[in-house]
Amino acid sequence: MLACIRTAASRIRVWLSHNEADSEFEQELQEHLAMLTEENLRRGMAPEEAVRVARTRLGGVTQLKETNHELKGLPVLETILQDTRYALRMLRKNPGFTAVVVLTLALGIGANTAIFSVVYAVLLKPLPYAQPEQLVTVFQAKPQEGVMGTGWSYTNFVELREQNHVFSEMAGSQFHQLTLTGRGEPAVVNASVVTPELFSVLEEKPLAGRVFFAEDGKRGAPAVAIVSESLWREFFGADPNLIGSSINLDKRSFTVVGIMWGNFRFPQVTESKQLWIPLVQDPLFGSWMERRGGHWLRVIARVKPGVSMVQVQAEMDAIGARLGKEFPAENDGWAVRLASLRQMMVGNVKSALLVLLGAVGLVLLIVCANIANLLLTRATSRAREIAVRATLGAGRGRIVRQLLSETAVLGLLGGLIGIGLAYWGVHALSSLLPESVPRVNAIAVDNTVLGFAVLLSAMASFAFGLAPAWFAANSNLQASLREGGGRAGESGNRRRARNLLAAGEIALAMVLLVAAGLLLRSFGKLMAVSPGFDAQHIVKADISLPQFQYSKPQQWTAFSDELLRRIQARPGLQDAAVAVPRPIVDGFVNLGFDIVGNPPVSAGSSRTADYVSVSPDYFRVMGIPLMAGRFFDAHDNFSAPRVAVISEAMARHYFPNQDPLGKRLMFGFPPDGAAEREIVGIAGDVRDVALGQEPGPMMYVPYTQAPFWGANLVVKSTLGVAGVGAAIREEVRRIDKDLPVTDIATMPEIVDASVAQARFRTFLLALFAGLALLLAATGIFGVISYSVSCRTNEIGIRVALGASSGTILGGVFRETLMLALVGLAIGLPCALAASRLIGHLLFGVSAYDPATLGAVALGLAAVAAMAGYVPARRAMRVDPMVALRHE
Amino acid sequence: MSGSRAEILQGTLDLMVLKTLAGMGPLHGYGIARRIEQISDEALRINQGTIYASLVRLMQKGWISGAWGTSDNNRKAKFYSITKSGRKQLQAEADNWERIAAVVGRVLRAAERG
Repeated sequence: MLACIRTAASRIRVWLSHNEADSEFEQELQEHLAMLTEENLRRGMAPEEAVRVARTRLGGVTQLKETNHELKGLPVLETILQDTRYALRMLRKNPGFTAVVVLTLALGIGANTAIFSVVYAVLLKPLPYAQPEQLVTVFQAKPQEGVMGTGWSYTNFVELREQNHVFSEMAGSQFHQLTLTGRGEPAVVNASVVTPELFSVLEEKPLAGRVFFAEDGKRGAPAVAIVSESLWREFFGADPNLIGSSINLDKRSFTVVGIMWGNFRFPQVTESKQLWIPLVQDPLFGSWMERRGGHWLRVIARVKPGVSMVQVQAEMDAIGARLGKEFPAENDGWAVRLASLRQMMVGNVKSALLVLLGAVGLVLLIVCANIANLLLTRATSRAREIAVRATLGAGRGRIVRQLLSETAVLGLLGGLIGIGLAYWGVHALSSLLPESVPRVNAIAVDNTVLGFAVLLSAMASFAFGLAPAWFAANSNLQASLREGGGRAGESGNRRRARNLLAAGEIALAMVLLVAAGLLLRSFGKLMAVSPGFDAQHIVKADISLPQFQYSKPQQWTAFSDELLRRIQARPGLQDAAVAVPRPIVDGFVNLGFDIVGNPPVSAGSSRTADYVSVSPDYFRVMGIPLMAGRFFDAHDNFSAPRVAVISEAMARHYFPNQDPLGKRLMFGFPPDGAAEREIVGIAGDVRDVALGQEPGPMMYVPYTQAPFWGANLVVKSTLGVAGVGAAIREEVRRIDKDLPVTDIATMPEIVDASVAQARFRTFLLALFAGLALLLAATGIFGVISYSVSCRTNEIGIRVALGASSGTILGGVFRETLMLALVGLAIGLPCALAASRLIGHLLFGVSAYDPATLGAVALGLAAVAAMAGYVPARRAMRVDPMVALRHE
Repeated sequence: MSGSRAEILQGTLDLMVLKTLAGMGPLHGYGIARRIEQISDEALRINQGTIYASLVRLMQKGWISGAWGTSDNNRKAKFYSITKSGRKQLQAEADNWERIAAVVGRVLRAAERG
């Protein structure tokens, strides 16, 4: 150990004064030589002979000095410095080569880093809670009926919380918007309606004041609220006395007891203007707490330390079975399921992001293949230089090390510029990303992302540096030296390696192009789909009625009637209607129903349709066609017989070969749940869930017969969104000055936003595929150009011997096409495998779509032919006289 | 082994240098090389330069020290001498060497008989 330290110390000392040490050793050797020479002279040799023999006895002075240097100093560090200096000099001497390599690499690294930053933020970065890995969401599922996950009733939640031994704490939450009044303009705030345990589950402390206590969750407790820091600053002007004072939510007074610090968000989706109130105080959900059945409370829990997920699931199964036995009406057939909090938040975004990451990784592979090819070409023309170095005593390892340092310098430069590009790319991505992607606010180029970029550059430079270095180390010295000229050392192996790299690029490009082609075709089909309504010129706006003030259904109807009457009275706004829920905008409400006179459905199956409550003009405003019967009119009011309009799909599905008109259905919400409704009309199908989803059965009821605590407006007008919005605000204010109008937007915008994720991934994948195509084309161009320039001599001879220019052109073309064909042959199975992976992202296109595959194959072959055409023409024009003098 | 000339293992050369310095007192590189050649009856004809690698290694371990001085015929030369820890090391190495040599010898004899 001591010896080790001493050796190291001595090495460092010598290295620091290495010039002095070197000259000292030189002197020592000179003396040694002189002594040997003297000895030889004493033995009677001639002076010249004496010097020569002395030199042989001592050994090569240069080599001795080199060995001595290596032993004494810090050779590794020194070689690295020396190699880097040399590499920089070489790269400066070839600015074009350096620029091409560094820029393509920067592009590859930048794109990868940018996409990784999104993947990291969404899929990998720890959630901003204490020990987030312990947090799970617990939900109920009824897989036999296709319900894969839904919430709990409060009574079930209480049972679950009391009976389990695996969670340290559990909490339930729901979410909706409340109207905040009393201070300036009324505002709609995002209210998290929670059980008091939420903050202890998340182990969060407030910025000021307190979190909820168990007492706050009991019925009869005073109404309290916790506001977010942003709400406190923006809405309350950072009022230092806010805690303890009261605020109005839906016209009811709440006492503020705490302020949560700025970064705390729960649930994640709501970003600003957030506040929390106990479940029991909520006008809507608070009234559902005693009701058994229902699935509306989202439950989050913290697993006790040391308890495995298997144990948790086992206990949940047991409790689920017990609940099913104790309360069979509500719980029979329901299972308890678990998912990590992240799984729940990330949802369906994960696979699309991974596809993008894979795609951008392929682009980087192509970049590496391209650079490796360039380096191989250059290494070939540098074979002589390398041979000379080897002859002068450079070991094989030394040469490989030097070549690798060149590629490392390239990789480092590319990585640096790539990181710069990534900053820009992340910025661009953040603005491009659809709002529905979770955790967008966490996307940033942070240390982890930077580390990824650096690691990636290192791996990339190793990948493209290895082949040239390997060939250089194994080249035949003598052959290289003998062959002289710049073309020396082009072995068959090396040519094969280059051809393989080029073919590999084509194969990779094919994978990306096929994937992009399939997504593009899917997106085209998605955009061509008719939603079943005419979104043009439709503006939507939401008015939510505070339920303490507007507590009776009659009040809701009165409000919407009055509002519609006022709006329709304004010029240009005659086409106005209300509907809950509106297609694409509000999601959907799927409801079970019975057909009067038909036997009840057998167990295990169910009759459901999407339920919509609409004002009479709704169908006209939305351009939904009438297929039979009539739409609603003013006579279908609360006191008139209950009526319904069903969609074509519902008529087809539930009334095959019958006339549904006049048949009676039984469905609705309490207290109208068992009301019989006569079918009076059949409307055209509407894609209400998503553009990409086939329209299902739908049933409409008149708004006056099934009102709702708000007015979800649709107005068809050419006045523009600002004009319509202002008119609506004005009329609402005239009815009730405390009612805010929110979410004013045009219908086309919303339909567009609903396909934003599909557009985003399609756009990015197409971008990557385009890049891949460009890179593969340059790769082929490089290989064929080089091959032609290597064979200038041969071509010249063939031309001199009478080969026509057509023959020469054909030869080069054949070579190009062979490359392309090999690439396509390798690419086809890979592309098929890849398209199976993205199968779930496709719409209306088979993963094995022959048209896409064919078009991509043809396109790639054509691009390859074009890339080969330029060098082929050059070959055709070779002047035999020049060519023969070429070497 | 190639030809009749013995190739020497690195560690062996270090040991011989130590032994030479222990027996002869301070010597310069040429002197050490000559001495080893003489003692071995010219059986070991080394590139004399290789001695310097050995000297660097021994210096780094602190088993020998070096200082510039004047040679017999008035030349400036670097003289190496064995240190205290060098002597200790030499003793240990020599014992070790003899033990190994004895073992190897026994094995070879046994192999001949068998």
